[in-house]
Amino acid sequence: MSHLREEELIEYFYTKGEPGASGRRHLESCAECAVAYAALQSDLKEMEFAEPPARDAGYGERVWESLAQRLPAYEAPRRHWLRSGFWMGLSYAAACGLLVSGAFIAGQLWERSQTHPTTAATPAPAAPKERVVLVVLGDHLDRSERLLVELKHADVDSAEMVSPLRDEAKSLLAANRVCLKSATQGDDPELKTALGDLNRLLDELSSQPEGLNSAAIARLQSEMNSDGLLFEVRVLRSRIPEGQAVGTTGAGGGKI
Amino acid sequence: MDRMGKNDHAVIEAVLAGDKEAYGALVVRHSESLFRVAFRITRNEADADDVVQEALLRGYQKLASFRAESNFGTWIYRIAVRCALDKIGGRKGNDASRVSDETSPELQEVQVADWAAGPDRLLLSGEIGAMQETAMHSLTATERTAFVLRHLEDCSTGEIGAALGIGPNAAKQAVFRAVQKLRIRLAVLRVRT
Repeated sequence: MSHLREEELIEYFYTKGEPGASGRRHLESCAECAVAYAALQSDLKEMEFAEPPARDAGYGERVWESLAQRLPAYEAPRRHWLRSGFWMGLSYAAACGLLVSGAFIAGQLWERSQTHPTTAATPAPAAPKERVVLVVLGDHLDRSERLLVELKHADVDSAEMVSPLRDEAKSLLAANRVCLKSATQGDDPELKTALGDLNRLLDELSSQPEGLNSAAIARLQSEMNSDGLLFEVRVLRSRIPEGQAVGTTGAGGGKI
Repeated sequence: MDRMGKNDHAVIEAVLAGDKEAYGALVVRHSESLFRVAFRITRNEADADDVVQEALLRGYQKLASFRAESNFGTWIYRIAVRCALDKIGGRKGNDASRVSDETSPELQEVQVADWAAGPDRLLLSGEIGAMQETAMHSLTATERTAFVLRHLEDCSTGEIGAALGIGPNAAKQAVFRAVQKLRIRLAVLRVRT
């Protein structure tokens, strides 16, 4: 059995309390090494060393007082030019980005502020436009009413009377289609129905290639009467203020 | 100035930014522990005071090289150990003249018979401590420092190596040689008592 060397005994003395310390098993089984270790332990434990003299509470302050005068102050560290330039550049880039973003947002806000008044003011121009529509519609209904009256009292045997009706019907048909289209986009079912009936009548009236014969006139008169078309046109016409109907653009145009 | 309010790292940042007075907090905080280890190595109160000042001065001068992930207490402790080592190394010539077994005029050595006149006398006169002091002075500066750090400061061989600027094995060997020499020097006490 090989014995522990003095170096190993010394190492064990200082590390015996630490995890992984080696030598304990050997010392338990080897009387010679155990005796050697006991002697070492005795020698080291018997060593007495003077404890350091106690320092009072002001010791640190006194050390500092004697030391402070010998210490030059550190200069604030200068930044490396590359790092400094990098951060400076980054700062400029960030500032530019903020500036551009700010300008963009300001532009958006300005545009919005400009858009809103326009949107809000939209109804104002709509009023003249609506008045124009009413004028046109009123005029159209006037002419349609006269046509229907003439058709109602038309002499089926007189070609001279019927021919102007057909020409007027052709003229009214184009205007009626525009009015009908406008009415279709709106929310006035009565107007839409009346203009639709009027459109069929005007279409038939204007699309007779051989002219209006007595049979055709009689049929149209029958349709007009059965639909109550003249009555509808008069009712619609009555809903339009008189001032509008005569082609003025005065205020107060109502909705039909 | 509130010297106790900041931790060591915050104080160091302030010092490096130009606030010299902030270093006072570190001085106040660590002076006493530095004195303790300095005294154990130098075994002299005045020398220990010098070591404390020298260590804190060197610490201030090297503060820019202090790494933030380190512990300032450990860092300045190692500097103090080095300073103490330098201190006892510088006076080694004076110490050596007192620890020779044989009189040697060429080497300016003297016998230690006066110190080890006999255990009975030493015990009676209470000079065992002085005998141990003599034994300690027989060690080299590195051996003595390594022994103090191991025996009194409970440092590991790794910590001793770091403090002395040597490897852990070299630190272990230094402790081993120190113990060996001390046992030889103090064997006379054991035999005669």
